[in-house]
Amino acid sequence: MYVEIVGLNFRYRKSHDKIIKNFSLEISSGEIISVIGESGSGKSTILRLIAGLEIPESGIIKVKNRIMVDETTFINPEKRGIGMVFQDYALFPHKTVEGNIRFGLNALSSQKQKIRVEEVLHLVNLTAYKKRYPYELSGGQQQRVALARALAAKPALLLMDEPFSNLDRELQNKIRDELKILIKQTNTTTIFVTHDREDAKALADRIIILNKGEVVKTGEAKVALA
Amino acid sequence: MIKECLVIRIRELKLNTNIWAMLSMVSILFITLPNLNILSNVFNEPNENWLHIKEFLLKEYVINTLIIVIFTGFFTVVIGTSLAWIISIYDFPLRSFLKWGLILPLAIPPYIAAYTYTGLINYTGLIQSTLRNKFNISVNQSYTDIMSIEGSIFIFTMFLFPYVYTITRAFIAKQSASLIETARVLGRSPLAIFWFVILPLSRAAIIGGTSLVILEVINDYGVVQYFGVTTFSTAIFKAWFSLSDVDTAIKLAGILMVIVFGILLLEKILRGGKKYSYTTTKVRPITRIKLSGLKSALAFGYSAIIFGLGFLIPSFQLIHWAIITYNKVFDAAFLQLMLNSLLTASVASALIITIALIIANYSRISHSIISKIIARLTVMGYSIPGAVIAIGVIVFFIAIDNNLFWLYKWVKEDSVKLVLSTSVFMLIFAYVIRFIGIGFNSVESGFEKVGKKFFEASRTLGMSVTQTFFKVDVGMIAPAILTGFILAFVDIMKELPLTLILRPFNFETLATKAYQYAVDELIQEASIPSLIIISISFISVYLFHRVADREEN
Repeated sequence: MYVEIVGLNFRYRKSHDKIIKNFSLEISSGEIISVIGESGSGKSTILRLIAGLEIPESGIIKVKNRIMVDETTFINPEKRGIGMVFQDYALFPHKTVEGNIRFGLNALSSQKQKIRVEEVLHLVNLTAYKKRYPYELSGGQQQRVALARALAAKPALLLMDEPFSNLDRELQNKIRDELKILIKQTNTTTIFVTHDREDAKALADRIIILNKGEVVKTGEAKVALA
Repeated sequence: MIKECLVIRIRELKLNTNIWAMLSMVSILFITLPNLNILSNVFNEPNENWLHIKEFLLKEYVINTLIIVIFTGFFTVVIGTSLAWIISIYDFPLRSFLKWGLILPLAIPPYIAAYTYTGLINYTGLIQSTLRNKFNISVNQSYTDIMSIEGSIFIFTMFLFPYVYTITRAFIAKQSASLIETARVLGRSPLAIFWFVILPLSRAAIIGGTSLVILEVINDYGVVQYFGVTTFSTAIFKAWFSLSDVDTAIKLAGILMVIVFGILLLEKILRGGKKYSYTTTKVRPITRIKLSGLKSALAFGYSAIIFGLGFLIPSFQLIHWAIITYNKVFDAAFLQLMLNSLLTASVASALIITIALIIANYSRISHSIISKIIARLTVMGYSIPGAVIAIGVIVFFIAIDNNLFWLYKWVKEDSVKLVLSTSVFMLIFAYVIRFIGIGFNSVESGFEKVGKKFFEASRTLGMSVTQTFFKVDVGMIAPAILTGFILAFVDIMKELPLTLILRPFNFETLATKAYQYAVDELIQEASIPSLIIISISFISVYLFHRVADREEN
């Protein structure tokens, strides 16, 4: 399996209740998975655990056969090669669109960085906005920059936390379709978290429904949401 | 369950043990060691000096210190809250100027105010000589004796009340527009609203401001020494300089430290766990009541008199003296001491900001209890009086010199024993301990405003904690770093007690020179260095005001 998560448990410090209870998931390469649930169901925490921003109490996470975390190993987020689009995008306000995208390309030579920036900007259709700062962009454009930034380093896995929550309805539908084409085009294995069933239906190959940290249903979009 | 917890804690500890944690721990060790040193030496075998002080003098130190603290506390609360109320709720001539002008007394360090007022009202001063020469009135000298406990209370009140005023005013502005309106609709007069709504609600803010005033009073050495009032600070100085008795100085410093902790505890209890936190929603500004006639004149008169006494009069007096004396005071030696002040303050502030950044970044990233403790210890120094820190640092450095003597001799055969403890390095070290809290608070609030999302984004984009710090964090909190640097810089420029005790032989700063002139009865000559200090403090007051105002809007 491309991504393997086995028996993941997590609780916050000083908290008695587990946020995530015995969560397991297998994903094939190129698949788009949607995790849906009410707020507080622990869906964002799953993404943070996979990205390495939180440390699980127990459980194993493997991506491309590489152990990210188990009882003895913990790979820091910067070493995981996992891209993430944050709910409010977290674009660096003091860097331009280009600066934001280049940020994650440290390992490449300057020449290659430039080429890659052009590639992803072309992909998200924002080439003309290269020199702009985040505050000079609309919400939809910011979201595309965040996506471009996450995709630039060709991550093994892409995580998206409520990618549409800051967009108005009309824009949301348009971007959703674009996004699906984009992800499939780049064949990026993706997990995205949402509270919106419509988003999940439109985008995901497979859906996980989460309630109070536990998986209550899983399956193909149409089946799971029926 | 317990085993699981343990495994996680060990794992967290391992993940948290990085360069940031190490540097933070080393820094906090150096920051706290001198103070711990004092506490651990308090119970040393008492000597004759101590027995003498305990028998005959200690009571006086305690009583004098308490009288000054209590009365200053009382008067600053009265003046600070009444002004905060008047400025917040009424409209009268020059209100918007006074709103900001009433903060300005903070720019004048109390010791400068002390000798300015002395020069102003003594026998040869402007007031008495005018009365004598123009109106042939001679004043009973006992009425004009400012060099007393009452005089100290006057000086501290007039120049420290803005702490209460600013905090309370900011609180009223943010919290109570709708409350005031509700109370008004319910038919209460403004005065009743002040007593029964605003005062109880602002309790935490008022106590917060007052405790700052009290800590400043306890820290002071310049005012009480100049006025000849014996307090704990002057006693510590005397033990060290006149009696050369470290043990007694340590004992006095230890007691003073316990008193300060007592005050901090009292503050916590009185606040009742309430921090004067503001509601986050946008607050409507208070609709002010327009005053006219006598009421308007009273509101204006009261605010203007306080502004005059706390800023205008002493400033004009200093400027007048500066015009008379500038060609006597400005010389190469004066340039040298200005350079001394600027250099020590810059180096110390740069160190403060560096350490503050390290500790704030560590405590932000790590969730461990250790990091929280380190963060709390960092701000502790600001509550501890300068004289106490000075004694702690001296003892600490003499111990270091004793232990490093072999090294000094190895480097230079005829080396003296006291190398570090006679250098400016010791003074800078003490500045860092005393003022790191200011830098830290600034940096910490900068980090809080930015939040953790950019940090996390950067981590998922392949940057380590350290790379993220340099590439993202520093850029994003640059304004907070600058503010912290300036605030620390200004406080160091004004600082007197630490500098007097710890400066190397013949090393003068603007503050020590101003003070020296005043003590040598050359009050007019003290005006130039004083005005320079006041102008620099002005910047910090301005910054403080601007930040507060921006938050308000």
